[in-house]
Amino acid sequence: MVELREQERQLMLALKDAGGASKEEHIIQYSKLPSAAIMRAAMALREKNLITIRETKQTFLALEEEGRYHAEKGLPERRLITALEKLGGKAACDKVYEAAKLEKQFTSIALGWAQRKKWTILDSKAKMLQLAEKPEKGSDEKLLELLKQKSNMPTEELPPELHDAVPILKSRKLLDIEEKTSRVIELTEAGKNLLKKGIKAIPEVTQLTQELIVSGKWRNIRFQKYNIQAPVAKTWLGKKHPYLQFLEEVREKLVTLGFKEMTGTAVELAFFNFDALYTPQDHPARETSSIYYVKSPKEGSLDSYKKALRNVKKTHENGWRTASSGWQYRYSIKEAKKLILRGHGTCLSARTLLSRDLELPGKYFSIARCYRPEIGDKMHLTEFNQVEGIVVDKDLTLRDLLGVLEKFALEIAGAEKVKFRPDYFPFTEPSVELAAYKKGYGWIEFGGSGIFRPEVTLPLGVKAPVIAWGLGIDRLFMMRANIDDIQAVFSHDLGWLRKKEVI
Amino acid sequence: MPTIDIDYYEFEQMLKLQLDKDIEKINEILAFVKGEVKLFSEEEGILSIEIKDTNRPDTWCIEGLVRALQGFLGIAEGLPSYDVGKQLGEVFVDQRLDNIRPFIGCALVKGVSLSDKIIRSLMHLQDKLDQTYGRNRQKTSIGLYNLDLIKLPLHYGVATPEEVSFVPLGFTEKMTLKEMLAAHPKGLEYGHIVSKYPVYPVLFDSEGKPLSFPPIINSNDLGRVTSATKNVLVEVTGTNYNAVCNTLNIVTLSLVDRGGKAFSMKVHYPHRKISVSTPNFNVKEMRVNLRYVKRILGLKLDVKQTAELLSKAGYGVTIHTEDEVCVRVPCYRIDVMHPVDIIEDIAIAYDYNKIKPQWRRLPTTGWQRPEEHWIHIARELMVGLGFQEVLSYTLTSPEKLFTKMNLKREKVVEISNPKFVTMTCLRNQLLPGLLEFVSNNLHVECPQRVFELGKVTLLDAKSETRTRDEEKLAAVVYHANAGFSEGKSVLDAFLANLGLNYQLTETVHPSFIEGRVGIVNVENVATGVLGEVAPSVLECWKLENPVVAFELGMEKILRIKLSSRV
Repeated sequence: MVELREQERQLMLALKDAGGASKEEHIIQYSKLPSAAIMRAAMALREKNLITIRETKQTFLALEEEGRYHAEKGLPERRLITALEKLGGKAACDKVYEAAKLEKQFTSIALGWAQRKKWTILDSKAKMLQLAEKPEKGSDEKLLELLKQKSNMPTEELPPELHDAVPILKSRKLLDIEEKTSRVIELTEAGKNLLKKGIKAIPEVTQLTQELIVSGKWRNIRFQKYNIQAPVAKTWLGKKHPYLQFLEEVREKLVTLGFKEMTGTAVELAFFNFDALYTPQDHPARETSSIYYVKSPKEGSLDSYKKALRNVKKTHENGWRTASSGWQYRYSIKEAKKLILRGHGTCLSARTLLSRDLELPGKYFSIARCYRPEIGDKMHLTEFNQVEGIVVDKDLTLRDLLGVLEKFALEIAGAEKVKFRPDYFPFTEPSVELAAYKKGYGWIEFGGSGIFRPEVTLPLGVKAPVIAWGLGIDRLFMMRANIDDIQAVFSHDLGWLRKKEVI
Repeated sequence: MPTIDIDYYEFEQMLKLQLDKDIEKINEILAFVKGEVKLFSEEEGILSIEIKDTNRPDTWCIEGLVRALQGFLGIAEGLPSYDVGKQLGEVFVDQRLDNIRPFIGCALVKGVSLSDKIIRSLMHLQDKLDQTYGRNRQKTSIGLYNLDLIKLPLHYGVATPEEVSFVPLGFTEKMTLKEMLAAHPKGLEYGHIVSKYPVYPVLFDSEGKPLSFPPIINSNDLGRVTSATKNVLVEVTGTNYNAVCNTLNIVTLSLVDRGGKAFSMKVHYPHRKISVSTPNFNVKEMRVNLRYVKRILGLKLDVKQTAELLSKAGYGVTIHTEDEVCVRVPCYRIDVMHPVDIIEDIAIAYDYNKIKPQWRRLPTTGWQRPEEHWIHIARELMVGLGFQEVLSYTLTSPEKLFTKMNLKREKVVEISNPKFVTMTCLRNQLLPGLLEFVSNNLHVECPQRVFELGKVTLLDAKSETRTRDEEKLAAVVYHANAGFSEGKSVLDAFLANLGLNYQLTETVHPSFIEGRVGIVNVENVATGVLGEVAPSVLECWKLENPVVAFELGMEKILRIKLSSRV
C-alpha cells in the first residue's frame, strides 16, 4: 500500500481534476497550497513513480519602463508627425516639438526615427521640417500596443507578422526578453490507477496539542516529519563561573584532606603581611611599586597584639631569642601599623599562628583575594587569588613538607610524579619549589613551600615547626581550561562564559 | 627578584663544563643557587638568569655564581680563601654627613686586567646591587675609579649645591652639583635622595679634586674605569653600615676573582673617634647542632656526612663535638643569619629529590566556614534560575561606584598608590560590576541573566584594619522586556528556596526608577534592594535595554538563616 501524506494527496486530487496533467502555477492557484509545499509533495510523489515532472524553458516578452511609457503615449516619432500634420505639414522643428509636447529627452529620438523611417524631410539649415507621407502603423507600434494589453507574453503566442519588431524594440531598450522555467506535472499510469482505486490520506499535524492528547484524536493523525538536522535556536543555561567552580573543587579537596579554612579582610595590617613574616621594613616588596597602601585611614590598630609586636620588633632589630642576628636596623611601629591590601595569603597564616585557637596538630588553608600593583600580563594580574596554608605540629621536618607537597600534586593536580627544587621566601628556610608531572601537560610549577623561620614562629609564640605552603592553582586552571592568558579568569566576555565547556 | 645577564661561553669556561646550550641542563645546575634561565639569546650568547633569593647579592654576577656553584659541582669544595693585603690609604669622613649619608667603605684592587666585557659585567653587578640590595641607591651606592689618577688620602665630605663643579660621567662640560641634579639623567633619577639637604655628599682626593657626587654620579676625569685600568678604587657609601660593608665585599671579590689583589683602606670618623679598616673578608663562625639538623630535615646525618655536605655548599667546617659542627661562613654569605640558613644548604647539597617525602597522618578535622556551605547553595540556586555566574575585580573606581550609579559619593577604601585609573578603590557594592559586565557584552545575544557572589569592603572604625568585608549577591536581567516583575519573581524563588519570608517596602533610590524599587526585608531585617534600573544609569553604562536588578547582603541573610535553624 502506498502511503501518501496530506499534501501529496491534495496534489494527486488536483492533478486528477486538471485532467491528469497541469502546470505548476495552475495547481498553486487551484489548490491554494504554498508553492514550496507543492514542490516538496511533487518530489515525494515522483519518488513513488506516481507522477512525472516535465520542465520546459519558455521565453516571455515584457516591456521596459520606457517601453510602457511609449505604449501609453505613442512612439515619439509618431507624436512628432501627428503634430506636424496639425501644423500644416511644414513647420520649424522647435515649433513641432512644442506642439507635440515632446519631453526634452525624446526630441532628438523623435527626429532621428522620423527621418530614419523617411516620414519627414529636414531642411537642416533652416531647421524646418516637412511631412513626407502619412504613414500607417508600423509593426513596432502594433507590438507595443499588444504588450500594453498583455504583459509577459510567451514568445510563441506572438503573431508572426510582429516577429521582426522584437529586435527593433529590444535595440531601443523598450523591450526585454525573459526566460522562465515552467514545470508541468503529469500523472503516470501508476498514479492514474491509484486514483481510480481511490486514495485516502491520514491527516498530518505539526504540533501535538493538549486537545489532541486529551480528546484521543492523536490516534487518527500522523505527525509531520521534521528535518532533524536543521539548526535550532541556542539555549543558554545558567552556569557557575569556571574559575570559581575550580576553586570550590580545590576547597573541597583541602577540607577532605583535613584542612581548616582561614579567612580575613582584604585590607590588612603591614604587620601581618610583612613584619610578622620577617620581611624587613625596607624590603622592596613593601615599596609602593609592589604593594597597595590604603589612602585613608592610613593606619590600623595593633593594640590587641602588643606582646607579639614587641617580640617581632626585637627579632627584626637583633634576633631576640631566636638565635638569629636579625636584620640589624631600627624597627618602626608606625610602619607596622600601615594598612595595605594584602599581597599574599600568608598574612592569614601569621594571624592563625598568633591566635589562641591554634590547634596542635593543626592544618589550615585559605583562598584569598590578593593585590599587587603589577602591570597585568598573561601570567600576572593586579588582583588574583592565592591558595595557601600551614601545617603545624611538633616534630615536623622537611620530609613532612615534601610529603604535603607530593600529596597536593597527586590529589589536587592529579599529577603522576613530582620533583623538588630549592626555592626562596623571606619567611621560610628551607624553601622548596614543587613541580608536578601530569600526563598531557608535562611538568608544571605547582607550588612553593617551606618551613617557617624561627624568626617568624617564635615571636608569635609558636615553638613547634610550621610548614607553610602555597599552590600554583592559576597555572593548573589555565591548563585545565585550556587558556593561555590568566586575564580570562576575570573574563568580561559573556560569549566565552556561555560557550566554555565545564572543566 | 633580580634578573642578571651573564656571558654563556664565559660561564661554561669558568665552570669547566659543557652545557650544550641545554636550558634544562643549565637550570638543573642553577637550582643550587635558586636560579632559573629566563631567556637565552643564542645570537649574543647572553643568558638571563632570575635569582629568586633576594638575600644573596653575592650570586648576582658571573664571578659570584661560579663561586657559589663550584662546591656543588665538585670544582672546588670548602671555603674559598680570600685575604686583604696591607693598608694602602686612608679616608676621612666629615661629621656633616651624619644625617645625610654617613658611611663609606673603600677597597683598592691592584693588578686586574679588565676587558670591555668584564667592565660591562661589573657595571651590571653595580646596577643590580644599587637597585635591589641598595634600595635604588638610597641605602648603598657604588663607585669605581682608576686608582692611578687619584692622590690619596680621600676626603668624604660635603659641598653646597653650587660650590663644587666637575664633568660628570658621560658628559663633556663641567657642571655644578645643582646642575647635575637638574640635567644629568642620574641626577634626575636619584636626586631625590639628597636634594632635601642643604649640602650634598662629595668624595674628594687629597688635592681637593672631586671624585664623585654620591649617590648620583662619578667624575668623568677620575671616576671612569676602562680596559686600560690596572688598579681600581672601589667605594661604597650609604646609610647602613653593614650594607655598605657587604656591598663593598661583593664588588671587591668580583675584582679579586678577576685576578686582582685587594688592599685595605682605613676609614676615619674623627667626630666619633672611630677608625675602621675596609674591606673586611673575615669569616663568621656559627655552631650548628646535629640534632637541630635532624629536627629540621628529618635526616640522620653523622658529623662526617654533615661536614662533607657543608664543604660542598662552600662552607668551612671545624668539628667540635660528636653532635656539633662549627661552620665557617664566608663574608659574602650575608644571608646567613641563623643556623637554619646553613641547614638549608646541607639539604640542597644532599639533594631535595633524594629525601623521601612522608605524609604524616595528623588527627585534624577539615572545616570550612559554615557560611561557605550556604554560599555554595546560593550559587546553585542562582544557576538553577538560569543565571550565568561572573567574576569581577574588587578593585574599581568611585566613578563606577557612584557617578555612573547616580549616587552621592561616599567614603570607600581608596588606594594611595593606584596603578590604573579604573582601579583606585575597593567596591562597596556588586551591582556596578554587573552593569559594567553587561555593557561589555552589548553585542551578545539577549536575554542576559548574570549574577555575582562576592565580597565588598566597608569602612569600620571599630575593626583593627578599619574595614570589614561582607559577602553579597547581585543579579541583573537585561533584555528588551526586562521589568520589575521578572526580577521579583526571581527573588521570590531564591528566598523561598532558602526557606525565608520577605516583604518589599517602598523606597527612593537614585539608581532605580521611582516607584519601581523596594527594600528587601527578610524576616523584618533590611537586607538589600530590588528595582528597575533608572534610565539615567543605563545611559551612563551605555545599555540599550531595560535592566531589573537586585543586590542582597548574604551575611545578613545567612545570619537570619542560621539563627532560624536553631
